[in-house]
Amino acid sequence: AMAGGLEPHLEALRRELLASDPTVLSVLLALLAVVITFLIWRFVQARRSSRKAVLLLGLCDAGKTLLFARLLTGKYRDTQTSITDSSAVYRASNDKSASVTLIDLPGHESLRLQFLERFKAAARAIVFVVDSVAFQREVKDVAEFLYQVLVDSTVLKNAPALLIACNKQDVTMAKSAKLIQQQLEKELNTLRVTRSAAPTSLDGSSTGAPAQLGKKGKDFDFSQLPMKVEFVECSARGSKGEEGDADFEGLEKWLAKIA
Amino acid sequence: ERGGNNSFTHEALTLKYKLDNQFELVFVVGFQKILTLTYVDKLIDDVHKEFRDKYRNEFQQKGTLGLLNGTFDFKEDFLRLLRDAEESSRVRAPTVMKTFEQSLKSQKTVKCMIETRGEKPKEKVKNKKNKGPKKEGTEAVAAPGKASAGDKQPPAAGDKEELTKDEILQKNREEFFRRHKKAGEKSSKSPKPEAQKEKGKKPRVWDLGNSNAKVLDYSNSATNGSAEAAPAEEFDRDTALGDRNREPGRLYDLEYESDDEAEEEKVTQNPSKPSAKKGGGLGGMFGMLKGLVGSKSLTREDMDPVLEKMKDHLIAKNVAAEIAVQLCESVAKKLEGKVMGTFTTVTSTVKQALQEALVQILQPQRRVDVLRDVLEAQRHRRPYVVTFCGVNGVGKSTNLAKISFWLIENGFSVLIAACDTFRAGAVEQLRTHTRRLNALHPPDSHGGRTMVQLYEKGYGKDAAGIAMEAISYARNQGFDVVLVDTAGRMQDNAPLMTALAKLIAVNTPDLVLFVGEALVGNEAVDQLVKFNKALADHSMAQTPRLIDGIVLTKFDTIDDKVGAAISMTYITSKPIVFVGTGQTYCDLRSLNAKAVVAALMKA
Repeated sequence: AMAGGLEPHLEALRRELLASDPTVLSVLLALLAVVITFLIWRFVQARRSSRKAVLLLGLCDAGKTLLFARLLTGKYRDTQTSITDSSAVYRASNDKSASVTLIDLPGHESLRLQFLERFKAAARAIVFVVDSVAFQREVKDVAEFLYQVLVDSTVLKNAPALLIACNKQDVTMAKSAKLIQQQLEKELNTLRVTRSAAPTSLDGSSTGAPAQLGKKGKDFDFSQLPMKVEFVECSARGSKGEEGDADFEGLEKWLAKIA
Repeated sequence: ERGGNNSFTHEALTLKYKLDNQFELVFVVGFQKILTLTYVDKLIDDVHKEFRDKYRNEFQQKGTLGLLNGTFDFKEDFLRLLRDAEESSRVRAPTVMKTFEQSLKSQKTVKCMIETRGEKPKEKVKNKKNKGPKKEGTEAVAAPGKASAGDKQPPAAGDKEELTKDEILQKNREEFFRRHKKAGEKSSKSPKPEAQKEKGKKPRVWDLGNSNAKVLDYSNSATNGSAEAAPAEEFDRDTALGDRNREPGRLYDLEYESDDEAEEEKVTQNPSKPSAKKGGGLGGMFGMLKGLVGSKSLTREDMDPVLEKMKDHLIAKNVAAEIAVQLCESVAKKLEGKVMGTFTTVTSTVKQALQEALVQILQPQRRVDVLRDVLEAQRHRRPYVVTFCGVNGVGKSTNLAKISFWLIENGFSVLIAACDTFRAGAVEQLRTHTRRLNALHPPDSHGGRTMVQLYEKGYGKDAAGIAMEAISYARNQGFDVVLVDTAGRMQDNAPLMTALAKLIAVNTPDLVLFVGEALVGNEAVDQLVKFNKALADHSMAQTPRLIDGIVLTKFDTIDDKVGAAISMTYITSKPIVFVGTGQTYCDLRSLNAKAVVAALMKA
């Protein structure tokens, strides 16, 4: 019935077009082509920018690139400090066959914010990798980076799931996930006071007052955040070193849940 | 962002690297610094080419997974290339010296080689030599008149010269005698006045020597010793003060032409190249399309005009000239060979890369969080010491007052150490600030504690000693922060720089802040380099305390010429901790890197 309804319309349209000036016809066709291209382009872009990415963040030398390699290939690779991002599609091992894009970002101080800016909009989940062995020394830097990630406006808006992966558990001196959680909470508690008291940025930045992390009166707790936060222990190198597999079942399970 | 030069030295090793921007590869060669290997550059180029060609497919098709999974068994290829490179550098047959006949010199006539100058017969008498190596004896004896010179020159065979040797000798002898005659005349003249002088030794008569002291005393007895009674001269106030309408403190007026808004679309230049090659109209149109859509890799020639424009733009925005050059160089290195995406022009790619490099510069290393560190020091029950240094007149004392206000607002008690014992009124200035701050934050509102106190010892004392006493006083009294104000000093003034370095080395402050004004241009580079150098040279410790952060002052006086921020952070790689935007206590801001870069890139 629809086809029948359309037919006379099409015929009328054709007759009208043929009757009119050929230049008008060509202009109309050109406009139509442009509109169609525009729509296709928008569609493609929208599809591309749907949040399918899992970002691997962390300080330098936390083990992000090795985790990335292990998750994708299962093999051990010698890695260097990343200076650019790497991304690949990761298929969770269960049979749902849903895939996410794993993106490994560099941890170096001068690069990390820039790459975070680029990829934060596409993030469905964030894996924050922490070096459990050097944690005691680096706790302030870890907390600072985590704070910067958490108060980012895009992250607050999208509230991607957050997993804090305490890496390098194969070393005996590694701190447990519980300890890391406690220390981070304490440090973030102090940080949110000092950061919000910092002098306002130049030309009164548009974000107004910096976002307050958690609830004001109480001590900071990860449960106060708008996103789901989990802590998991893992080891990218694995207990058997280069030959064996990595121990990160918790991480894989979580990724399967996210996908 | 410092990718301009491609070599890096660390201890005993030198590293040279090469970037492949198309496939995002980095090739690094390391060798011992003491060896000067000439084949390194060639080797790295060869390795790059071969590696790329061998694994090109894997890069293009398989992407990241290909990189992770692939085995890149390049060892044999690399060893082969290394061997080739070593051999090519070693094998160079000792070059056979050209015989004299082969050289060009034998073709010239001797006459044209002789430069006959009047006074100085220093011409190189080039007779033809029948020797192989050119070095020996070609430099003819210059001093004329030495008879032996003539003998040294062996008789030339097959000569084309027009002057024979004897004639040349004769000529030289004439010159010699002529000169000696002149000298003889001079010497004959000189004995005469001497003879006159020999008559008798007369005592020297100084003009004023015989008069007594009274005539010599020019001091005005009335004003002697009284400091206040300045002679009431008539001086013209206007000429003394100069132009009253001139803004005080302004360094110079920048004469610059406004950047023209019209961006030359590089795309339109692209078709001119292929069309010039093909010479056809149809070829030109396709060329333009190809430039728009296709995967075109950037070459140096494409980028150069754009980079030139960007460099001038940066310099116009008050970035130091050498830093602008280095920045553009590193952007060029980063982009060379990169494949552009669709619908992107060269200008936009370069601008994007430059913007990223600038943001990266402004966010160096670890952010200095003063409050966090003060809390840390509070826990250890010791005061947090901040030292302000800089050249004259940049706003150290003003910004010190602003920072102490900010600290008081956050509940920390501050001790200000007046270590500027030179400038007139420095101590009084700090005393006034202390009084005002205490009025704003009276002790009652802070549980009976005076929040600000001034520690001063007057003028003329040793600054390092005052600082040390102030810190121990603060520790005893339980102050949280000590702010040390030093005298302004020029970076070229060696004794003052030594004094500053001593102050910092002896007292080991927690934070050394360099105060620089935003108006400074190329001077910023010089100031920071010399300050850092002085601090490094005079420190005894293994790792010397250098400048930890920068305070950028007088930011309200520049509208968008914010280049000084870039210059300063580039030189030191330390962050800008505070920005001063005025003279009241609330005019203290932190740096917003994106806003600054946006202002910088704005046309």
